[in-house]
Amino acid sequence: MSRGIMIFAAWCLLVTSGFAYASFAGYSPFADGQRASGARGPGGVFIGRGGPRHK
Amino acid sequence: MPPEPPDSDRPNPWGAGESGAAGPTSPRTVVTAEGDKAAAAEQFNCPNCGGSIEIKAAGYTVTVACQYCGSTLDVTDPDVRIIQRYEEEVRKLDLPLGSRGKLRGIEWEVIGYMRRSENGTYPWDEYLLFNPYYGYRFLDTDGRGWTLGRQLTEMPAKNGLLGFTVDGEFYEPFYAQTRNQVDFVLGEFYWQVQVGEEALTADYVRPGKMLSWESSKHETEWTLGELLEPNEVPDAFGVEPLTGGGLPLPHQPSPYKKQSGQMMKIAGLAAAAIILFAIMFGGTSDPETTRVNLATNGVEQSAKIGPIELTRPRQAVTVSARAPGIDNAWIDLAYTLTDRDTGDVYEASNVVEHYSGYDAEGNWTEGSRSSSSKFSMVPAGTYDLTVDAAGSQWLEGQYAATRNAVVEVSIARGATFYSNIILALIVVFVPAIWVWIRHLSFESRRKSDSDFAGDDDDDD
Repeated sequence: MSRGIMIFAAWCLLVTSGFAYASFAGYSPFADGQRASGARGPGGVFIGRGGPRHK
Repeated sequence: MPPEPPDSDRPNPWGAGESGAAGPTSPRTVVTAEGDKAAAAEQFNCPNCGGSIEIKAAGYTVTVACQYCGSTLDVTDPDVRIIQRYEEEVRKLDLPLGSRGKLRGIEWEVIGYMRRSENGTYPWDEYLLFNPYYGYRFLDTDGRGWTLGRQLTEMPAKNGLLGFTVDGEFYEPFYAQTRNQVDFVLGEFYWQVQVGEEALTADYVRPGKMLSWESSKHETEWTLGELLEPNEVPDAFGVEPLTGGGLPLPHQPSPYKKQSGQMMKIAGLAAAAIILFAIMFGGTSDPETTRVNLATNGVEQSAKIGPIELTRPRQAVTVSARAPGIDNAWIDLAYTLTDRDTGDVYEASNVVEHYSGYDAEGNWTEGSRSSSSKFSMVPAGTYDLTVDAAGSQWLEGQYAATRNAVVEVSIARGATFYSNIILALIVVFVPAIWVWIRHLSFESRRKSDSDFAGDDDDDD
């Protein structure tokens, strides 16, 4: 097996492992929900909730 | 031993070596070989220039082209008749006559050389190799690679309309029947050959091999050539490697084919693993649902689901909304997922909408009455989901719109991120596809020189 194939196999292993971890931990760079960083009121109620609204 | 040329100004294609003993008028002398089956060597003088000539395969050799003056001699005649006088200066060869080299475990001596072409175009060099125990081989090059050929003793089997089979291997047509000629000849040959002699040739290929058909007025023969590795001839004969360039050889195997196949297999395995992991860790469980009744007048209504227990250190959460009754209306949805203990807030927004009507092209619909939002890597904890929903009507339309709506909102543990799957598959397959495209490009360039490529762009 050539060096290029070994590198590619290692790359595939890395991607597959990363995908397995992301799937297990529920991670996605394309997730809709995000942790809010704005000010919060009493009881953790988020103030100034924004987000896109239908026009 | 290579003989000494009579004229020291002329190049010595036999290479540097000891001088011969025969003089211009010396008789033909036979030097017996060591083995019984091996051909004997023979020495005589060129009747044109007097140069000493040694025949390596006496008894088999029919024609000799003098290495000093280029004259072609008939050595079957006891008086060595001159078939053709050559007027130009003898050229220096890449592989000097008399040089020896080991190819594929057998030592060969270069005894003949021909320069051939298609009426002056597409020239190539053909060296005749000889070993007293293994006979003759051809070593061809057009500057891009070396091919070692052996003459077949049986005619290849016809396979299909144009192809042939040899030893169970199929050869597809590459070069159609073409007339070519001998432009230059030097050394000895086991058949009668002279400058200007014409023959018809056609070539058939498979990766690494070329099957050549050749027909002259004397005979028809088939030769099976094997493409040598670029360093084989330089290593064997101590010559410079070919510079190459241009299109790939007709029988040159694609350097990307094997690599492409292996990469595709690895990428396929990785893709299977990705899909397996997506099934194992994807999906949702334990959904909890609430309903929000609202009018489509823009006034916001709120609802809460909870408590929701998330037990894993990190997990995805899916919030789905469905409003099956709406038409020409939309509902804006804002979700707030709040950790009861830490007060951490995760938020998302979405919409469910549906529009329909009728125009010149018939009924139309647009939008979706359901949607889902996915939260990524939410820590373990006890959460509440707050849903803020605001319904609106499509007032600009001439169609009736829903005045009141019910939206069902569900929250479930877990999610399937299809974007993750697509991204992982792209990242895995792009390198393999890239090498595969290079393989196709190589094959396209190789076949572009073929007379059977479909693009008839050459002319004589």
